[in-house]
This record gives sequence, C-alpha cells and structure tokens, in this order.
Amino acid sequence: MNFPVEFILLIPVISGILCFLSPRERIISYLSIALAILGTAYTFYVCGPIFLDGTVVEYGFWYVDAMSSFFMMITSTVALMVALYSRGYLGHEREERVLKTGSEKYYYLYLNLFVAVMLAVYSVSSVGMVWIVIEVTTLISTFLVGFYHDERSTEAAWKYLIICSIGITLALIGISLVYASAYQAVPEESMALDWKVLMASAPYLDPALLKTAMVFIVIGFGTKAGFAPMHTWLPDAHSQAPTPVSALLSATLLNCALYSILRFYAISEITIPEFTSTLLIIFGFLSLFIAAMFILNARDIKRMLAYSSIEHIGLISIAFGIGSELSIYAGLFMVMAHSLTKPILFFCAGNIMQAYGTKNMDIVRGMGTKMPFTAALLSIGALAVVGMPPFAVFMGDFFLFLALADAGMWYLLVIAVILIIIIFSGFARHIYPMLTGETTMDVHDPPGISRHAPFLILVVGIILLGVFVPHEMSAALTNIVNTVFGGVI
Amino acid sequence: MEEILYENIIDVCAILMLLLSVLSITTTRMGKLVQHFALHSLVLAVIAFFVAFYTKNWHIYITCALTLVLKVVVIPKFLKYTMNKINMEREIEPIVGIPGSLLICAAMIFIAYLVAEPLMGSLDTLGGTCFAVSLSIVLIGMFMMTSRRKALTESVGLLLVENGLFLGTLTISYGMPLIVEFGVFFDVIIAVVILGIFAYRINRTFNSVDTSFLRRLKD
Repeated sequence: MNFPVEFILLIPVISGILCFLSPRERIISYLSIALAILGTAYTFYVCGPIFLDGTVVEYGFWYVDAMSSFFMMITSTVALMVALYSRGYLGHEREERVLKTGSEKYYYLYLNLFVAVMLAVYSVSSVGMVWIVIEVTTLISTFLVGFYHDERSTEAAWKYLIICSIGITLALIGISLVYASAYQAVPEESMALDWKVLMASAPYLDPALLKTAMVFIVIGFGTKAGFAPMHTWLPDAHSQAPTPVSALLSATLLNCALYSILRFYAISEITIPEFTSTLLIIFGFLSLFIAAMFILNARDIKRMLAYSSIEHIGLISIAFGIGSELSIYAGLFMVMAHSLTKPILFFCAGNIMQAYGTKNMDIVRGMGTKMPFTAALLSIGALAVVGMPPFAVFMGDFFLFLALADAGMWYLLVIAVILIIIIFSGFARHIYPMLTGETTMDVHDPPGISRHAPFLILVVGIILLGVFVPHEMSAALTNIVNTVFGGVI
Repeated sequence: MEEILYENIIDVCAILMLLLSVLSITTTRMGKLVQHFALHSLVLAVIAFFVAFYTKNWHIYITCALTLVLKVVVIPKFLKYTMNKINMEREIEPIVGIPGSLLICAAMIFIAYLVAEPLMGSLDTLGGTCFAVSLSIVLIGMFMMTSRRKALTESVGLLLVENGLFLGTLTISYGMPLIVEFGVFFDVIIAVVILGIFAYRINRTFNSVDTSFLRRLKD
C-alpha cells in the first residue's frame, strides 16, 4: 500500500460510481453503507497513526499531517453516519413518492463524490489546489442542495452557487497576493504555494501584501465557512437540501473552509502577528450575534439548526482568533464536538419532517408520547448543542471561556456568555413545546436500524468526549496546536 | 527600453479591459453582452501573450491559448446556446438604471485604487497598476451579478470577475503554478456550465429566468 492518500479518496469515488451503475435500486444503499464502512475504517487506519504520532505523509500532490488527519477522520465518521441514515430516509421518501424513480442513484453519486472532494481538501499540499478543491465541493453540493427540483430548492441552490463562487473568488485574489509575496522568497517557484514551504518562508513574506491578502482570504473562505454577514446562503442551503445532506453540509463542509483559514492564520501570525486574530474575533462575534437573534425567532427547524451552525463557526473563529495555545486547542475541540453533535439534530429534524410532513416548529406537538425515541434524542441533541454538560460541546465552550479569561478579554467573555444564554433560551423556547403538548396526527418513530444506529453511535461519542478526553487525544491535539505556532512539522 | 514598451502595451490592454467591463454594465441586450465578454477575454489573451513573451514563461502561453479557445469561443457559444434554448427575452432589465450603475462603477474603481495604493511599493510597477485595474474589474463583475435580474447575466458577471482575477495573477506574480492555473480554469468552465443548467431549471420551475422571483426563502 504505497498510495494511502489515493486510496482514501478513491474509496468514496468508487462507491459513488458503483452506486450509480448499480442495476437494482434496492442494493444501492447497502453498497453505499458497505463502502462507507470500508472507507472510514481505512481512513482511520491511515490517519490514526499520523494523528497520534504527529508524523507526516507527503509525496506527489499530497501532504497529510496531524491537522489534516484530524479533520479527515471527522469527515469520514460523519460521512458514514450520513450513509447509514440516508438509507432509511430515502427509503421513506421512495415509499411516499417524494422521490422520482431513478433519482436515488444520482443522490448517492453526488453524495459520495462530495465526501471524496472534502477529504481531498485536507490532503492536498498546495494552497492553490486547496482552493480548486473547495470550489469543486461547491459545484458538486449544488446538485445535492437542488436535489428536489422544486422552487425552493432551486432557489437555495442558485443562491448557494452564486454567493459561494463570489466568495471563493475573493479568496483566490488573496492567494495570488500570497503567491506574489512568496515566489521570490522561496527557491522553487512551483512549490511556493505548498503549506509547508509557505510556513517555512513566512518570516520573509512581504507584510503589506500579506495583510491585504489575509483580508481577502478570511472574507473569501469565511463566506464558505458561514461567517456573518456572508452567511446568507447557509440557512437556505441547509434547509432545502435533503436532510442527510444538511447534516453533511453543516458538520463537514464548513470545516473545510475553517481548515484553510486556520492554516493561513498560522502563516500570517508569523509575519503579521495579531492582524488575522482581530479579523477572526470580529467575524466570530458578528456570527454569534446574528445566530442568536435568528435562533430566537426561528420557525423552520432546519433553519434554526443552520443558525446554530453559524453560532458554532463563530465560536470556533473566536477561539482561533484569541491565539493562545489553550484557545486553539478549544477551537479544535469544538470543531470535533460540533461535527459529532449537529448530525444528531439534523437526523431528528429528518424524522420529524417525515412524520409530521412539515418543518414548522409551531405545528409539531406531542412528540414525547408519540415519538419517544426521536423526542429523547432531540432533547439530548439540543442540550448538547447549546453546551450543557456532560456533552462534548460543553467542554469546548468551557475551554474557550477559560482562554478568553486567560487572555484578559473579560468584556468579550461576558458578551459571549450572554449570547450563548440567548441561544439556549431560543432552543428551549422552540424545542420544549414540540416535546410536550398533544397532537391529533398519527405519527410514530420511523422503524429500522438505519433510523436508530447513527443516533446512538453519535450520542455515545459526544458523551464519552464530554466526560473524559483520552490522554493520547489531548496530546495529539496539543501537537496540532504546536504546529499552528510554527513548531516542528 | 523594450521592457517599458511591453509594460505600456500591457497597461493599455488592462485599461481596455476595464473600459470593456464598464461597457458591459451599460449594455441592455444579452447578445451584445456576450460579445463584450468575448472581446474582454480576447484582450486578456493578448495580455497573457505579452506577459509570456516578456517573462519567457512557457506555461503562460498555455494560459493564453486556453483563454482564446475557451473564453473567446466556447463559453460565448455555450451562453448563446443556452439563451436560445430557454427562449429568454433579449432585454436585460437592470435593477439599478444605467446612469446609476455608471456612478457605482466609478466609485468601485476609486475603491480599488484605494485598496491597491498601499501595495504599490511591494509590487513592481506593472503589478501595481494592473492590480488596481484587476480589482476594479472584479468589483464591477460582482456588481453586475447583484444588480441584474436575468440568471444568465449573473453568469456573465462571474466570468468578468474571473477575467479580472486572471489579469491580477498574470501581472502580480506572472501567473500561478501551472497545475493551479489549469484547475482554476476548469473550475470556472464547470461553474458556468452548472450555472447554465440551473438557469434552465429556474426557467422551467418559475417559467422565467428572472431571479427576482427567488425571494421565497427568508426568516
């Protein structure tokens, strides 16, 4: 096995193609699940040791270090859960005839290609390639967002494509400015955009150019990450995509942009300290504020969850922006916690939508008696996502608050706590009536392993991470933090 | 002496591109707009040729050839094809009127020079002026995307943005590494094709390509 990275990317691609070519519709979802299990297992087999030991795999186009492998493992875990859940979800849609015959294979083709491209974001060595691959994630997921072909999803897909393309173009201006300042500082021009080379030559980059470049880069990739005020595509896309895809968008796609921002942040901190930090903190608080306001008044459950993603992206951005070792650690931890928590909520939203036939939270009542499983998971998920112990997000928030206090940013700490409390009350206000109350509708929990297993796996995961972090994992995360601060790669 | 000559030619071409972008903002007919875009790309190809000649970077010749084939010929053909296929009316219907648009363009060019000014010292002379011009083109393209109602005009806006961007990379750093440039190129092409597909889909679901119908999703 001399080509570990190619295999990681190839498994989802093969899975997509096989699903597309499969002669019988019934076996498609099994194929996808089987290959997703294989893919996730292989990703862990390759990335696990890299993550734990801090080694680096690099050859050809590829460069996988501890940070990339961390993100890759998250991505493929979520992808597996989504593959599991998709089976039951799409099966139900097929029975209800929401889905046209023959469209399922397109779904699995796009889904698997999307996963492959997201994994590629973390494994390519050159910044230019990262840009290209992130643009490809937009292009592929547009089809997933517009999958239902109706008015709303077409609108969401169109906005998504236009806004993210503009945003990502701004990032390319930034990258070309970085290249302009780097190509004289490094020995070989064609390597001048590699993460490793950029990191090593960071002290020789032109500060004026890099400042302008970072503004473009943070705004550009920030659009894709969902920073307010460039977030407008996000609630539309998340609410109109098929629910398993919403989970994937929220839990993994946003990470791709955050990863690029974190890498550039590491470079810019060497040349122009505290410049990018300020940008990230401003965007972080803006996102947190916008998210809090919209969560309070949300109607549509998936839009509320989308705004909750914006909230978490804001918190992570603040964490990166503080720029202490503890805060970067908190940021990385929150990336992981958010990615594992959010799918639970989206999957619950999927169950609710299919049972009640609506996304409007004012109509959904009486889940506690009629849909006990979904109700239980929804309450666990909601408590977890707003940062209650003993779940993983709580630990992330806790580290973030410590870091804010440590850096002496007391005002910001107070504002963040207030906004988080507002978000908490928003969630409570919407979720509690859904659980209690009475309904005349004949609803019940959807049956099948596919509608139970992903929830349980994720819940066990977030509880474990919330109560104790294994020593190996915290050591590995600390190691990533050190690479951000220009430590040995 | 020769250097100054090349720089002047490139400068003049860059200004020509800027003028063409402003001209496309004033265009009210779709067919004309596509023609302007083709011309815009042709000037970009000329710039690429001179930059390649000047720096003797062989891979910029490839960029030049790709621009000629794809942006001057293939994409305009594709846009015209989609236009006929969805039978859209030829009028563009800007949200902001032409005089207003021109004023906004002027403001954007001003902003672009303001942003580029502090960087003049770090870039060489060619890069300095051209960066301001390329930024202006990018901003004008974005303005076109936001202020025009037809789905296809939005894709032409994106293409203008992309042209501005290529002008930037060509003149600031004499192109990017070849593989990156290839990737960017094909990303753009695919983006335009997908935009075309969705314009077609919008036309089918809404019976119009007027994107002001896209106002259903809000909080």
